[in-house]
Formats: sequence, structure tokens, C-alpha cells
Amino acid sequence: MRDTRTPFLLFAPAFALLGFVLLSPVVYAGWFSLQRIEYGAPTGYAGLLNFRRLFDGETLGATFGRTALHTGLSVVLTIAIALALAVWIDRLRPRVGFIVQTIVIVPWIVSTVVATLLFRWVFVNDIGIAAYLIGTVTGGVSGLLTEPGGAMGLLVVVSVWKRIGYAVIVLLAGLKSIPDELEEAARIDGASGWQVFRRITLPLLKTPLLLTAVVLTLSNINTVETPLILTGGGPRDATRVLAIDVYERAFAIFDLGSATALALVMFAGNILLVLAYVKLSRWRA
Amino acid sequence: MTAPVSRLKIGRTARAALTGLLCLLVLANLLPLVWGVLTSIKGDADLFRFPPTFFGFTPTLEHYERVIASGFLGSMGATVFYAAVTVTATLALALPAAYAFDRFEFPFRQTLFMLVVASIPLSLGAAALLIPNYVYFVQIGLTNTWFVLPLIYTAHQLPMAIWIVKGVIEGIPRELDEAAIVDGGTHADILRHVMLPLSRPALGAAGVLAFVGTWNEFVAGSVMVDAPDLKPVQPMIYSFIGFFGREWGPLTASATLAILPILIAFAFLGRHIVSGLTKGAVKG
Repeated sequence: MRDTRTPFLLFAPAFALLGFVLLSPVVYAGWFSLQRIEYGAPTGYAGLLNFRRLFDGETLGATFGRTALHTGLSVVLTIAIALALAVWIDRLRPRVGFIVQTIVIVPWIVSTVVATLLFRWVFVNDIGIAAYLIGTVTGGVSGLLTEPGGAMGLLVVVSVWKRIGYAVIVLLAGLKSIPDELEEAARIDGASGWQVFRRITLPLLKTPLLLTAVVLTLSNINTVETPLILTGGGPRDATRVLAIDVYERAFAIFDLGSATALALVMFAGNILLVLAYVKLSRWRA
Repeated sequence: MTAPVSRLKIGRTARAALTGLLCLLVLANLLPLVWGVLTSIKGDADLFRFPPTFFGFTPTLEHYERVIASGFLGSMGATVFYAAVTVTATLALALPAAYAFDRFEFPFRQTLFMLVVASIPLSLGAAALLIPNYVYFVQIGLTNTWFVLPLIYTAHQLPMAIWIVKGVIEGIPRELDEAAIVDGGTHADILRHVMLPLSRPALGAAGVLAFVGTWNEFVAGSVMVDAPDLKPVQPMIYSFIGFFGREWGPLTASATLAILPILIAFAFLGRHIVSGLTKGAVKG
């Protein structure tokens, strides 16, 4: 159908909303970040002042480092565990596989606030059940949440636990799209289970694996709730990652100028990931 | 002849061990949830007993009473309202847009659809988008209104919904719309009488995802509204952490109440959630 007016009228409301909520705030924030901000209100052009102030106190580099550590570990572990689970579920009888898949998804559909709160309760230092179990095994008193390394480790554990279900679904869909004949033919030719996985399954899963990695990276970098509720960024800044840094700049110390500048830096990083996502998702209109 | 047999045996033991390990992993998956629900029905004496116990305590609803007395049901009501508006608006905007992208040729069609696809992960970037959203909405006076959260949530859920619904419209034969046109029907008629009934599974999947996304959202809900009767569930739980401090009874009770609608939705519409995710296969 060659008719430009009708499709325009059909998609215009959707695009108007997306433009208003996702795009126009970024444009406004670009202007806002170049202003001197006093008590939350712009009071005149200030150039790159807000961006320069990000480097005050030299804490930003360490925050980036912790973000890279948290996100890198979380993404790698999530994908490794999800891949093992997906391959396993794929081989189960359909009915059993569906039940296992359902159980695996549950943490993903529970809110991050609730999930993190429950983890904090399980690991709370003196009366938590995990602290008790770890204490009986090691004979010592566990203080995961009060030690810098332990807190970061726990942050990674919660992040992985929360997102395994998502990764399993995407990878399982990828596995199901691989024709059984390919793997069978390789087996008949004498390939071992591991060889089949390494030479046939894994290469064919490349796109879903990369897509999962992009989405997990984006979602780990941008999640405020997990560090906010689990540790509040502590102990002694050990878990202060970018998401909580930007949130606290804006809503704990009310420095909207530098918060906006940092948010825009994060946004630029997000755009790179979004471009990778668009390339990988093989969309067609 | 013996070599393959023993190799098979080793394979079998290894496989059994691996299966056991994976089963354990799946069970450990649910442990924090089960432990949270158990905690919420323990009296204070059982709650702080050390070592912790799974069984042998008298269940009580006292923590639920305290949580409800603190206004938690009001928050749940507000969130149900936000979710209802978001799901309705998302589907109402997604269906015509998906129809336009699948059935029409127009300039910049590819570019515009690429923007829809790009918006799917973009709305995941909550921390980066939140501050611009906040300063802009403060500037134009949208914060602290009843519609600001549904507005934001609908924009977050819409791109994924367009993608899912378009995937299903692709499979609806074009002969059906052509027949409707021949019978003198308009595009609105096609949308109502052909697309709406035939894309119901996709609308269901997109709707359930939008509901879960809205119910679980935290950052926008915590900064865009202040008034207690506008606060959604997740920020309410967060403020309980400050309010109840180390009283884990009320905290786990509020967490349990907040999971309940999600688990109910999941129990009845779990297949929709899985199929929606698999179709879009795109959100974290």
C-alpha cells in the first residue's frame, strides 16, 4: 500500500511518547549540564564546569574500576552458569524441562528491590541463615557484608542470581533453533559430547551469547537498587559503583549539576551498547 | 570391547554428579524467597532464634498487620492503578504502530523501526536516563502527578511491545485485510476486527511483561513522586528499610506481599511471559 498519511497517523502517537520521555530529557539535560546549578536550578552558562567537577577528589577512576569489576564478573558468571543450565534443560524431557525453566526464571520476575532485600536478610551478619551456615563450615564468624571483598562478592552473587533466568531463556531459544541433525551427524562421525558442544553448538550460539552479554552489561551498569539496598555503597566505598554514585549525587547530596554530567557520560556509554544490540538483534522492518 | 563400556560408566557417573549439581543450583535459586516468606510468619522470638530454624515455630500474621497499618495496601492499590494504565496504554499504542510497520510502505520506514529496536535496551539504562528525566520533568512541572509514572512506564514498555506485536502481525495473512478493504472496511475496522483478535497471544505476552516491569520498577517511582498516596510498592519497601530498620519481620512481610501479585501472574500467565521473552528475547 502506497499511502504515507495513514501509517504516519498510526505510529505517530507511539513516537510522540518515545520522543517526549526518552529523547527530550536528554536534550534538556545536555543544556542543563552546561549551566551553573545552584539549589537545583540553573543560574547561567558555566561551560564544562560540571564535567570538570566530576574529577574532584579523584574518586571517579576508582568508581569506574569497581563498576568494571562488578559488571565484568557478573556478566561472565551469569553467562557461564546460564549456558550450563540451558544445555541441561534442552536435553531434559519437555515437561521436566519446562518445570526447571520456570523455577530458574522466578528470581528474574521478582523485583530487584525484593530480591536484594531478601539476600541481605539471608546474609545479614549475626542472625542470617547463610552467615550461620558459613559459620558452621568455617568455624568462624562470617562478616561478608562488613568486609570490602565480601560485600563486592555478594553484590556480584545477587546480580548473577537475579539475571540467570533471563540469560537461560535467550540461550535456550538459541539452542532450540539449532537443527538436531547437525549434532547427530557429528556424533555419528565419532565426535565426543564435548567436541560437539565446542565445535558445533557454541559457534552457532554466538549471536545469542553476544546479545545476552550486551543486555547483561547494560542492565548491570545501570542497576541502582542492588548496591543501594545491599550495601549502600559500603563498607568504605567498596561497592560504590557508577549507578549508585550518580543516584547519590542527585538525591543524597543534591548536587544535580555533577549528577547530570555523570548521567550523560553513562548515557553515552549506554548508546554504544545499544548500537551493538541493534546490530546483533537482526531486526528487519 | 571393554574400553567403551568403562568410558560410558565414567560418563554416567559424571553426568549424574552434574545433574545433581544443577538440581542443587535450581533449588538454591529459590532459597532466599522461601526463607523470606518463612521469616515473615515467625514471631519475634522465633525470628531471632539462633541457630535459625525452618520448622517448629508458631506462624503468626503480626508482621503483616503492622505493614498494612503502615499504609502498604494503599501503595499496592496505587501500583495496580499505574500498571493498569501502563498495560492499556502500551497495548493501545503498540498495536497500530506495529500494524503500520508491517503493512505499509513509507519513507524512512527502516530507520524509524531501527529507532524502536534501539529504544528497547535504552529503557534498561535506568540510572543514566533517570537524572535527565528528573531535571526535565521538574522543570516542566510533571513530578508529583498521578500520571507521571504511567507516562514513563508506558514509554519504557512500548518499544518491546511494538516488536512483539509486529512479529505476530507478520504471520497474519494479508488476504484478510484486503478482503476487509474490499468489503468497504477502514483501517480502524481492520485493526479492531482482524488484528486485535488474531494478535491476542502477542498482546497477552506484551501485556504481562509490561505489568511485571511496572510492578517491579523502583528508581523512577522513588524520585518522581513524593506524596504518600502516589508512592508505588518498590519505593515503599525501600522506605520501610529506613522505617523498620533491623526489624526483619515487617520487612520480609512487605517483600512477600510485593511478590504475591507477580507470582500469581506468573502461575496463570507464565507461558505468556516465557513466550514474550523468547519472541523479544531482549530485556534484562
